[in-house]
Amino acid sequence: MSATRRQMALEIVRIVVVVALALLLGFFITALVSDDPVGAYTEFLTGPLPKVSINDDGSWQLRGVNRFGNWIEDSITLILLGLSVAIVFSARQFSLGAEGQLFLGALAAGAVSLYIQAPAVIHISLALIAAGSAGFIWGLIPGALKAYLNADEIVSTLMLNIIAIQFYQFVLIRYMRDFSAGYVGTEYFPETAVLPVVIPGTRVTVALFITIAAVVVVWFFMSRMPLGYEIRMLGANRKFAEYGGIKVKRVITLSMAISGILAGLAGTHLSMGLLKQLTLSLSPNIGFEGIVVALLARNDPKWVPVAGLFYGYLRTGAQIMERSSDVTREMVLVIQAVIILFITAELILPLIQQWWRRRRSPKAILDSIEEVGDVA
Amino acid sequence: MSLETVLASIFSAAFIATILRTSTPIILPAMGGLISELAGVINIALEGIMLAAAFFGVVVGALGPEWLPGLPGWIYPWLGALAGITVGLGLALIIAFFHLELGADIIMAALAINILAAGGTVFLMFSLTGDKGSTSTLASPALPTITIPLVSYIPFVGQVFNGENLSGYNMITYVAFISVGLVWVFLYRTRLGTHLRAVGENPAAAASVGINVKRVQYIALLISGVLAALGGINLSMGYLTLFQADMTAGRGFIALAAVFLGNKNPVGTLIAALIFGAAGALEAQLGTLNIPSQLITMIPPLVTIAALVIYNLRRQAQMAANARKFQEKLEADQKAV
Amino acid sequence: MPNLIDMRDIIKVYPNGVVANRDVNFSVEKGEIHALVGENGAGKSTLMKILYGLEQPTGGQIFLNGRAVTIHNSHQAINLGIGMVHQNFMLIPSFTVAENVVLGQEPTKRQMIDAEAATRITLQLAQAYGLDVDPAAKVEATPVGMRQRVEILKTLYRGADLLILDEPTAVLTPQETDDLFDAVRRLVGQGKTVIFITHKLVEVKEISDRVTVMRHGEVTGRMQTADVSEEDIARMMVGRDVLFRIEKPPQQRGEAVVRVSGLSYVSATGRPLLRNVSFNVYHGEILGIAGVEGNGQTQLAELLGGLAPPTTGEATIGGQSILGRGPRHVREAGVAHIPEDRLTNGVALEASIADNLVVDRYYRPPFTHRGAMSLRQIRQHAENLMQKFDIRAAGAEATIGSLSGGNMQKVIIAREFSADPALLIAAQPTRGVDIGASEFVRRQLVEARNAGKAVLLISADLAEILTLADRIAVMYKGEIVAVFPNSPDLSEEALGLYMLGLKRQTPPEIESHL
Repeated sequence: MSATRRQMALEIVRIVVVVALALLLGFFITALVSDDPVGAYTEFLTGPLPKVSINDDGSWQLRGVNRFGNWIEDSITLILLGLSVAIVFSARQFSLGAEGQLFLGALAAGAVSLYIQAPAVIHISLALIAAGSAGFIWGLIPGALKAYLNADEIVSTLMLNIIAIQFYQFVLIRYMRDFSAGYVGTEYFPETAVLPVVIPGTRVTVALFITIAAVVVVWFFMSRMPLGYEIRMLGANRKFAEYGGIKVKRVITLSMAISGILAGLAGTHLSMGLLKQLTLSLSPNIGFEGIVVALLARNDPKWVPVAGLFYGYLRTGAQIMERSSDVTREMVLVIQAVIILFITAELILPLIQQWWRRRRSPKAILDSIEEVGDVA
Repeated sequence: MSLETVLASIFSAAFIATILRTSTPIILPAMGGLISELAGVINIALEGIMLAAAFFGVVVGALGPEWLPGLPGWIYPWLGALAGITVGLGLALIIAFFHLELGADIIMAALAINILAAGGTVFLMFSLTGDKGSTSTLASPALPTITIPLVSYIPFVGQVFNGENLSGYNMITYVAFISVGLVWVFLYRTRLGTHLRAVGENPAAAASVGINVKRVQYIALLISGVLAALGGINLSMGYLTLFQADMTAGRGFIALAAVFLGNKNPVGTLIAALIFGAAGALEAQLGTLNIPSQLITMIPPLVTIAALVIYNLRRQAQMAANARKFQEKLEADQKAV
Repeated sequence: MPNLIDMRDIIKVYPNGVVANRDVNFSVEKGEIHALVGENGAGKSTLMKILYGLEQPTGGQIFLNGRAVTIHNSHQAINLGIGMVHQNFMLIPSFTVAENVVLGQEPTKRQMIDAEAATRITLQLAQAYGLDVDPAAKVEATPVGMRQRVEILKTLYRGADLLILDEPTAVLTPQETDDLFDAVRRLVGQGKTVIFITHKLVEVKEISDRVTVMRHGEVTGRMQTADVSEEDIARMMVGRDVLFRIEKPPQQRGEAVVRVSGLSYVSATGRPLLRNVSFNVYHGEILGIAGVEGNGQTQLAELLGGLAPPTTGEATIGGQSILGRGPRHVREAGVAHIPEDRLTNGVALEASIADNLVVDRYYRPPFTHRGAMSLRQIRQHAENLMQKFDIRAAGAEATIGSLSGGNMQKVIIAREFSADPALLIAAQPTRGVDIGASEFVRRQLVEARNAGKAVLLISADLAEILTLADRIAVMYKGEIVAVFPNSPDLSEEALGLYMLGLKRQTPPEIESHL
């Protein structure tokens, strides 16, 4: 096995172990608060799967399709956000702006949906373009501020999130609200602006195909396109990229802007696919969820769907658990926090190795190393 | 309500009193954020720490009589505050441990804490009260308010120092302002504070003179945890007397912005926090004028971004001016030759 | 009487498996100046880090005055009377000189820092040891020589009896070096002991009483300095005789490739680093830029590489201005650049060899075709270069970080030479490179020249310049103060006068050789 292969295998093992430990911890805290922890946790871990029930006469029925649908619906959001985060993290930019981009993407899509009339294909396309553009611009701003003015992107994106959400709510309340509804929200979107459902009995829409396309495009972009190469080199060593002739400022700006497109598209999935309208809080605290997905995927676009489906499964399972037991879905956030902590804790493995080494004598170590490397 | 009455209410002692109240939960975490930032360990978990401390303050304060019956009544809010601070310390310790011992990126570790706090508080609140929105079913106590004697007799000044009703401020408000002075003395007059600034500026240099960098960064993060926790306790045991899901509403992030806007020193950070507090107070006042609150809420982040832009533009202009000056001198020299 | 320091059988293995020290024995007597020499990567820095508590040995023991000690951190080392002056100064730029001197052990009055006492202490120490500093100045505004004196004062304030000086002359001018040597002798005169880490053999002979030589993590020699010649020490450092000469056919000088005129550069802090620099480099020649480091050579290479825009002036290739529009523009005009700080600028450690080898050409055919990159072409390109330049690695997909230092260098050299440039800038190309690789690099430079390319060689190593260059320009304080055609009569001493600013040519003299 080559060194790179071995490294990858080790990485996968590490992620699986961390996830397993986090799930175990999740069970412990469930046991602390629940009267029936095993039942609750079973719901959590198996809930999203559809179940086959066989009737007495031998015929069979598929049950729980909507739960399965919930899983896929949620995963779509997570995969799009995960791709968004994977791009900026590859460029080693700590943009935390996905939340604001998502809200503005949804708002732009909502405006196109409500105020433009067109045949479905054109209407939906226009809404998607509007959402992607809104996300692009909301990523471009902190990107340009970072690139050209050296303004800290963590602070600027956190601030831009607040501005975006307040702006979204302001426009919604002021100009788009449908007062006949009993809550703050727009009218339902016209038929031509609602994403068509592709799995009957669920809200899984063509957003599924858009997401699959996005994965392929982002994968191709990052591994086969010059700009993707530039983003990777920027992330690996900014000074090297600069020295090699890469226009680093442009790449920083574009990496954050392109990442914004994907977050904006996630906003269309929420508004045009799931809600079919705009509501005051689109999906609470979804903004940072892309980070755990990107982390689990090690910023590699081809692993993002796997990570997104996995984390979507947990989130959906948690919702089902909440409905059918005495444990709330927020348990999954605790699991998420533990996963983030342990996956980013890069020194755990070396520390264990060091501890293992220290138990052996210095001579034995010297003997075990065949090649004498140069000294750093 | 007319514009005049609104203006009158803004330029009043009562409004200043409101600002002091709304700034308190920004000043405290901002001082915490300042200390960790200066030590080279940015803490973006101020938000989560505030939230968790707010929650545990209320829970222990309210359920204390049930869990530890028989103590004098006044002690329970203090137990709550202590619990809140302990939780703040604990969360800061987790960040510090994962970052300093296990090599986790500090942004990621702090994000995990924010997520843990957002999820954990709701999870526990539901388990304890059956409600996911707030702890309104619990009878939660407040920390005492303090009135400064004598100044109440002076018009205006009395209202500034003791609130519009002359009933005093929650004690945490005083703690907040005192903390600014203490942080200043700590950073610029004590050995530990000096070491902390040295560690933030050049950790290798600090280590080379025997300063234990890890220890200093642990301490910085723990202090920031305590200060953020005090801010959270202020929200749930002073400003209000209950816990609501996500009741910090971004104050931890605004506090971090205040650190940057305040040019990373205690006085600047205080001023920035007061400006943000004023925006919060204005929100309430202008609501009556039919100016949407969202527009006011946008002010602090907009000011912060504007400050980032102006600061960096000025630095670039400074560099350009240096270059120009040199160029002119060079040309003058060449002419002379 | 036991030795002041005895390090016995020291073994250091880093977690990544690199063996830095194997069975090293090292001893220092009280009151001596002990030179510790070796090439970069010989393990001398690691050994000293262990002595100063910055690294823990994997095995072995340390004795101080005959007593076994364990040094877990630099704090303990300081308490044991050991002080270290690091190669990269360990100062806090925004603090004053006095604040830096007392940092970590500040005098206090009623629990608060006593700033007056700090100033007083600094002045007293400075006077006692003849180390002139300004206690109130902020370190970021002081010259390099003073910063080094601050570093020495720091160790003295902490009561150091043993001072470890890690390549202290690397950043100094000759004058400052002389001052430093005087100060070191004064310190020893007052009962201190000094370990002097260096790889400049002249300095070893000049300053030290004894010398320990290291190679590949082991000690290869230990003797009285007076008993050995520089050549002997060099042999122990590299394990074979150093080849100082390289065959070079007579020059076939062509047209000027690059014309540099009136180049000036002022740093972000307003310090003028380059003043009105003009020269040409011609087809088929190596122009050597000589000078004590820190006289603008670094900035010159960065400017010509496009990494920073000049404050004034320009450089043209074929009449076209190449500066002010970034490295891409410079590279497309035919400039290749072996950067001085290679690990910072020259490679991306976590990226693959293949990716590192195309950073200047990934967007052009055959690597990018109709907007898409060809991974096959990139891999093939890497495999070709790895073979041609003898880069030893697991494969083209291996990360740069997994390579040895020498192979990392070869990746950079392979990329820059294969760019087929009109002008090749080589900034300190053999620094930190072992002897074998150095020879390889030098031969490549000469071959490039023979093939008609223009080579700008910037080197702090005078012997290297005199061996390779066809013409030599000397830089002092950001200016070109002299230009000579190279000839066997030109001596290091003669160049030295210009490098130290003691002599300079008149503008017409300079002009005549441009």
